[in-house]
Amino acid sequence: MNRSLTFLLVLAQAFSAEAKTDDSLLDPRLRLNGIQVQQAFGKTQGIAQESTVKLLRNERVIAHGTVIDSRGFVLSKASACIGARYLLTNSGIRLPVKARKRDEACDLVLLEVIGDGYEWPTLHWSDNNNSTDARWAISASPELDEIRLGLFGGKTRPIGREGGVMGVVLSDDNQSERGIRVLEVIPQSAADRAGLKINDRILKIDHRSVRSKQQVNHAMQKKDPGDLVLLHINRVDEAIELRVTLGHRSVTFDLFNRNLLMSGPTSKRKDNFPLVLQHDIPLYRNNMGGPVFNLEGQCVGINIARVDRVTNFALPHAVLYPILRDWLKP
Amino acid sequence: MNGKGFVALFLATCLSACTLLATEGLKPWEKECPENYEDLLGIEGQIQKHLSKTKSAVVSLETEDGAGSGVIVSAEGLVLTAAHVIGDRGKKITAILSTGKRVSAVSLGGSVFSDAGMLKIESKAVLPFVDLAKVKNSSLGNWCYALGHPNGFDTTRGQVLRLGRIIGKQDETMQTDCRLLGGDSGGPLFNLNGEVIAIHSRISQQADENFHIPIETFVSNWDFFMTDEFYNAQKLEEGGFLGVASSLAPEGLTILGIVEGSAAEKFGLLEGDILKSLDGEPLDSREKLAILVSNKSPQDPIVLELSRAGRLLTFRVPLGSRLNEE
Repeated sequence: MNRSLTFLLVLAQAFSAEAKTDDSLLDPRLRLNGIQVQQAFGKTQGIAQESTVKLLRNERVIAHGTVIDSRGFVLSKASACIGARYLLTNSGIRLPVKARKRDEACDLVLLEVIGDGYEWPTLHWSDNNNSTDARWAISASPELDEIRLGLFGGKTRPIGREGGVMGVVLSDDNQSERGIRVLEVIPQSAADRAGLKINDRILKIDHRSVRSKQQVNHAMQKKDPGDLVLLHINRVDEAIELRVTLGHRSVTFDLFNRNLLMSGPTSKRKDNFPLVLQHDIPLYRNNMGGPVFNLEGQCVGINIARVDRVTNFALPHAVLYPILRDWLKP
Repeated sequence: MNGKGFVALFLATCLSACTLLATEGLKPWEKECPENYEDLLGIEGQIQKHLSKTKSAVVSLETEDGAGSGVIVSAEGLVLTAAHVIGDRGKKITAILSTGKRVSAVSLGGSVFSDAGMLKIESKAVLPFVDLAKVKNSSLGNWCYALGHPNGFDTTRGQVLRLGRIIGKQDETMQTDCRLLGGDSGGPLFNLNGEVIAIHSRISQQADENFHIPIETFVSNWDFFMTDEFYNAQKLEEGGFLGVASSLAPEGLTILGIVEGSAAEKFGLLEGDILKSLDGEPLDSREKLAILVSNKSPQDPIVLELSRAGRLLTFRVPLGSRLNEE
């Protein structure tokens, strides 16, 4: 105790920096998301702000939406804007909306603005199917009064189902006629709560024999968090049955959990998309559903999930186009 | 208008003309702030130009304690990373190359003071590597990009690219507004010429105010880290003790404070003295002072060169012990 305390004090002494002087910090207006950098984006600022709306439930912003045509149709993230009754434009106009179409696979909803007399901007899509890698990504700020900037980075890819997890580390040795040995049980995990113990051997999952760690993982990937699985296990030559209610990967494993805590609220649904673009624009969970633009002011996609503090997913035009064509056909 | 006023006006005109010329010669990413579409296009184009080469040198590191990142800086597989990723010297670590190939590596040295660490990939193959930026070449406001493996290696996602600017720089710490997350630790920060300027160290509660270890810290202590020395709390405690708090200045280390009863006080070092060298080793980082002193035993004599009010002085003094100060 005394030793570690000494170490802390010593460090403080040896490395105590002077109070930060002004010339050691960058003017906030010049930061990546500073107001002066935003101004370089010219017309794209206005395009991003005017094409984005806030969606309200009980007077609270629950999502952003993308104004996709001059008739006032708005596209958004379906699971985020359940119960949205009104929208607010960047100029503060409040209008009622009604959900018209829904696509479960892509988590999209089409809302129609009730009443007319509002002049909606026309959205220009990027029909450039080239890579977005390392290009500017631009969205409206949470209050639609500024823009937020980042880069597309990380491969454009499909996102599979996250799957449920038990919270165990399993043995690699595949010679197990006697089941897959449990090396570790994560405290507070689904497996822990169900009573699984170290050195238990998993024989069957939902009455199917498993012969390798891979087979166990494969079985879990087909399940969702909250699903119940039945395990047949062997514990010191005794046959036991356990029921495990599967947990979330990100909540169960420590590293993911810590990163999640550092990230603030993330989207409830952030898996199971046919194709996503990845970018690092600083946005909140209730800003999903809004558009993301390139430097030319063309819409590249719509924000569909806040994953963590360095990652957002956007559905690209290639995914949206067939859905919208179907929904908006005369 | 009198003569003086005319000269002043003439000078002012010259100065503004010079400023104009200076701005015109600058690349978009060298300006204080991008001004228009062309500047922004220039910035993204410059990143694209260097991205694939720099990505090829970035590795994901798997240790007993978790996942981090690193960057290869020589064809023989020398990797810069963070000390808290390697933990200690001589540890076995798995490095995952940008191709997805897993290779074994062993940790060399590092220091918990700055969080700088090194390791060596044990491979006979020639590895892709990137260059270090020249020391003292990066400054506040410079555009930069971060690469790394947030949340660990993910083959379908690949490395994650983030953009930012240097928002803080003092002594041996650098802060940027590149957004980082656990797993990025040890990964590289590049300038827009594709050269390594820093290594990711600590992530801040604020997503856009993260800390990096500047390349200057590695260069200053290169030989110590290469020779398998890992400077941790214990080593610091057992070694010699001088007893000064300092800050980095262009010409050495300026003494900010003297610990009561320490060797520094006994031998008459003063606040404001600028320490130039210790046993002939130039003092170009505070960490180097800490390392040189902790390599000695208490009572070992040292030769200190310092500058006081413009005069060069040489002190020959025995070091004290940290434990005496309690």
